[in-house]
Order: sequence, then C-alpha cells, then structure tokens
Amino acid sequence: MEGSAPAGTVAEGWDELLALSRDEASERQLLERLLDLWCKERGAGAAGLYLERGDALAREAVVGDGLPELLETSGAADGYGSLSFPGGRLLFMPREAPGAALSDPLTVLLGAALKSCRLRQELKEQQFQVNYRVVELEALYDVGLAVASTLDLDRLSEEILVRAVSLLDARRGALYILEDDRYRLDRTFGGEAAPSFAGDDAELHAFLAGGEPAPPHLLPGARYLLGTPIEVESGPRGLIAVGDKESRRGVGPFLVPDRRTLSLFATQAALALENARLHLQALEKERLEREMNLAAEIQRQILPKGAPVVPGFELAGWYRPARQVGGDYYDLVSRKDGRIGLVVGDVSGKGMPAALMVSTLHSALRLLLDHTPFGPSLLERLNRHIVESSAANKFITMLLAELDPHTGVLHYMNAGHNPGILLRGDGTVDQLGAGGLPLGLLPEARYQSRAVTLEPGDLLCIYSDGITEAESPAEEEFGMGRLIELLRRERDRPILELLDEIPRTVGEFSHGLPQGDDQTLVLLRRE
Amino acid sequence: MTESLNVTVDRRTGLAVIYTEGYINNQGGEEIAKVSYKLLDEGYKVLLLNLAGTKIVNSIGISILIEIIEKMIEIDGKLGFCCLTPTIEKTFHIMGLAQYAPIFGDEAAAVAQLPAA
Repeated sequence: MEGSAPAGTVAEGWDELLALSRDEASERQLLERLLDLWCKERGAGAAGLYLERGDALAREAVVGDGLPELLETSGAADGYGSLSFPGGRLLFMPREAPGAALSDPLTVLLGAALKSCRLRQELKEQQFQVNYRVVELEALYDVGLAVASTLDLDRLSEEILVRAVSLLDARRGALYILEDDRYRLDRTFGGEAAPSFAGDDAELHAFLAGGEPAPPHLLPGARYLLGTPIEVESGPRGLIAVGDKESRRGVGPFLVPDRRTLSLFATQAALALENARLHLQALEKERLEREMNLAAEIQRQILPKGAPVVPGFELAGWYRPARQVGGDYYDLVSRKDGRIGLVVGDVSGKGMPAALMVSTLHSALRLLLDHTPFGPSLLERLNRHIVESSAANKFITMLLAELDPHTGVLHYMNAGHNPGILLRGDGTVDQLGAGGLPLGLLPEARYQSRAVTLEPGDLLCIYSDGITEAESPAEEEFGMGRLIELLRRERDRPILELLDEIPRTVGEFSHGLPQGDDQTLVLLRRE
Repeated sequence: MTESLNVTVDRRTGLAVIYTEGYINNQGGEEIAKVSYKLLDEGYKVLLLNLAGTKIVNSIGISILIEIIEKMIEIDGKLGFCCLTPTIEKTFHIMGLAQYAPIFGDEAAAVAQLPAA
C-alpha cells in the first residue's frame, strides 16, 4: 500500500489504512475498515468477509448487522449479495448494492487483504502442525526417558495411555498388558473397554496388523479405532487402542500417519514398560531373598546350638539344607529326668513351605516333650496336631528316640523315616525301622515304641534321605549300604570327625553335583 | 480420569479464575471458550486458567486455547495459566501459548502477578 493515495472514498482513510496494514495485530481492523469503505462506496448496509475453513466459510470481519458467522462452502448465500474470491467470499446486504463487481478497485483491495489473511491463517496452521510434530517427538523422547527414570509400573501405564490418547487427538483409549497368554485390560480412558482378549485372538491380531475392523467390543461405542501391539524383542507385552479421532467438526477416522505415530510411541512404551516390569521383578526377588534369609536365620535359631553333654556317650548333630531354608529338622534335648531326646525329621517338599512346617513341628514337639511321657501317645498327639495344621499332601517322616544314659536303653519311634543304623561293636547292624505312618497323613494313625540297648562301642546313626539318596553323575544313589560301610570303616574316629567325614564322602560320591535334598545326621556312640 | 471437562469459575475483583477438571479436547476447549467469552462479556479482562484438574490436552484443545489467547490480545486483555502438569507446561511452551499467556506455578503467584504481567 506504499505510494501515493488513490482518489475517491479510499483516499479519505488512506493514512489510516496504511497504518493498519503495517501492524500484524490490526489485520481484522484493516479488513473492517476496508469493508466500511466498501459499504459506503456501494451504499451497502452490511458486508462481511468469509474465509474457507475446512468445509465451511468462517466470517473474518464484518460491518453492519444481519450476516451469518458461518456459511457452507458450497451453500447458496440466499438473500445476500455475494462475490467469490479464491479461498473466500464477500457477502453484503442488500444484495442489489450498486457496482459490486470483482473488477472494482476497492473490491480488488478487499480480495487482496482476504488473500493475505488466508495466507497468514495457512502459515499459522502450518506452524501449529510443525509445533505439534515437535510435541509428538517430545512425547516419544519423554517416554524414552522414562525407560531410565520411571519404574513405577502403574504411573507409567497411565502416562503411556494418556499421552497416546492426547497425541492422536483421540477421544477414547485402552491399554492392555499380556499376562498368561491373555491381553488383560490395564486401564481405559474416556469409556469402557473389553476386559480381556485371548493372546491368539485372530480378529484382534488382524486389527492390530492394520486394515481389518476392530473387534466390536474393544472400545464399545467408538466409531473409529486404531491399535498397535506393544512389543519387545522377546515378543508381545500388550497393546494400545485409541478411538474416535477428534477434529473441530466432531470425530473421524485416524489417518495413515497416526498409525505410524502410535506404532513409534508403542515401541518406546514397550521399552519403558519392560524396564519397569523387570524392576518390579527384581524388587520382588530381592524381597523374597530377604524373607528367605530371615527364614533361614529363624531356622538356624531352632536348631540345637550344640549337643548336650551325656556322661559315657558322644553325641553330635549336623544339618545342611539344599536351599536357603530346608525341610529337615533335628533336635537334641536334655529332659528333666536326665534322659536325652533325639529327633530327626524330614518334611515333604522343600523351601519355604517345608521350612514353615519345620517350625510347626519344632514348637509342637518341644511342648509335648515337656509335658508328655515318651511313648506312642506323644507321637499320636503330635500327628493329630500336624494333620490339623498342615496342608493336604504334606507329611513328615520322623525318628524320635529317648536315651536313658544310665542304662544305655534307647526307646524309639519311627514314623515312616529312614531306619536308624545301630552299628554294634562287633560290626553287625540293627536297624531302627518303621513303627507307623509318616506324621500328618491320617489323624488316627497309631505308632509303636521299641527299645534297644546301646552297649559300649555301639554307634547309632540317624540320618535323613538327603544322605542316602545323594546321586552320583551316573544317577546312582549313595545308599544305605555305602553309609553302613563308611560307619564301619571310620567307627573309631572321634564323633565330630565322623560327622565331617560322612558329608565329605557323600560329596565326593556326587562329584560336586548340587545337593539335591537337605542332609541331616545325628550320631550317638557309647564309650 | 474423566473424558468430559468440568469448568467452574471464581469471579474476583478485576480477575476471574477458571478451574478445569478433565480432558481439554474439542468439547473441553469449546466449554472453556464459552465460559471465557461470557466472562469477557461481563467485563472481565484478566482471566486465569487453573488447570490443576487437567492431566491431558490434545491439539484441538490447544488450538481453541490459542483462539482464546488471540481474542484476549484483541481486546487488550490478559490470560494466564497456572498449576499445569510438567507435560502440559512443556506442550504449551512448544506450541507457543506461553509466549502470549504467562504460566505460573501456583494460583497465588498467578493472582498476584497476572494483572501486572
């Protein structure tokens, strides 16, 4: 608009028009001023400039009353005068305004101003789109950062879903996590979603692959859906689905670039989710280890700290669990009347469940030994207690004995345990065999008490099956025969040395194979 | 999480605070615009949008917020934001909203500083 002022109506406001044209923020005022001049020159009561926005014409500037804010692009402007420009339209009243033509200089000026306005709008829109691409990239970057920083799986899942819905301009969304071969709904946004899908649901996989309609119950009520799997190197971990892409005019289908955006986002999300999942697993493992260590410590506390001193006898016990905690148990108890109680028990199973039963056994047995004379009724009461307090299919084998040190008489009861080995001074062996079922199987089980007398030089070995069932690399068991042979060979050694020698020999037999079961030994020798 | 946006207004002397709760999408943005323009009609020229209850905003919602900012500039008014999530604050910076509408950490700071901003 630089240069000398034109003649006519425009000339009256030329300086003002020049000033407005130089100020970007006064674009609308410029349009309104031009419209005002146009109306004056043409004798029109009202005029409005309309700019194409999608499938409508939106009013950018108006003078006077009675003109609509929006027009259909292809619609007729009934009742108004109308001049069309590329990308816009001039509407005026009354429709018979004289001399209203596209060739009129003021109309040309209006057309140019409208074009400038349209270009500025397009530029703004493009800038908006560029900025929003940056927002998308930032979202991808942020989720990538979360791989290293966010280990809260719950918060991460919410962040991922909210960002996916937001980035895709979706109205709805759902995040599924694959667990036990099922896609389970983790969370939704904006409405309900199907609670789960089979991991191999063909309809779902066809939808995720693209091109096929979504399962109808995925996001009930959503008209347009887009989904993508969340995958890590080792396989799928879940899926994200979004529904109903928004625009200013409502909702519509997702576009091709949306699929790529969601897919990229899911790739980042997969890493973040996997990282958080592994972290949770590690925490859980650490917690379990702490609990196992605590359980192992508790178990160590219930084992005898040493053997009672028994005049005329050597007595010692040894125990090594296969895992941190075990299901074997032994105890050496000095009773009030001077008799000595010896116990070796073996709970079925291993690990924590077995260790808990050992604790139950220990408490119950100690109480009973304090208040009940040695004999079948003691074991029968113990059995009923174990039946009542243990899970089905759990049982305990046990060899319980009581030595009278004065006479050398040993009463014993064997509840399904490996027979104790009594190596006589002359090398012969008596076995302290079964006298009843393992504890915990039948509430009405009955037990027998038997007695043997330990003569000077006799050696008693009570053990758990972890000793005799230790295997060689050829899967041959160590067996009772080798144990008896070892006892015969080493019988004259001090009892503590013998207690070292037995596990060492068993270990040699196994050639360093991991210990498969808990191992327990109690040795008693009459001097 | 709510899919629709709840908007409430606290009219104060010389300033109105608009509280949002939910998704600022097309519908949510239109609701904010409706409330904002009504406040302008009532004579308020300083508006504060407190987004403490909003965790999610999409591009349509942003484009409507930009329109409100443009309207405020046109009438020589002021619009500010407060209590944004870090994600929304970053988005507003990238999208250029922060250039024309100041962002405050909390409402008290916004109420104190926005009229003079």
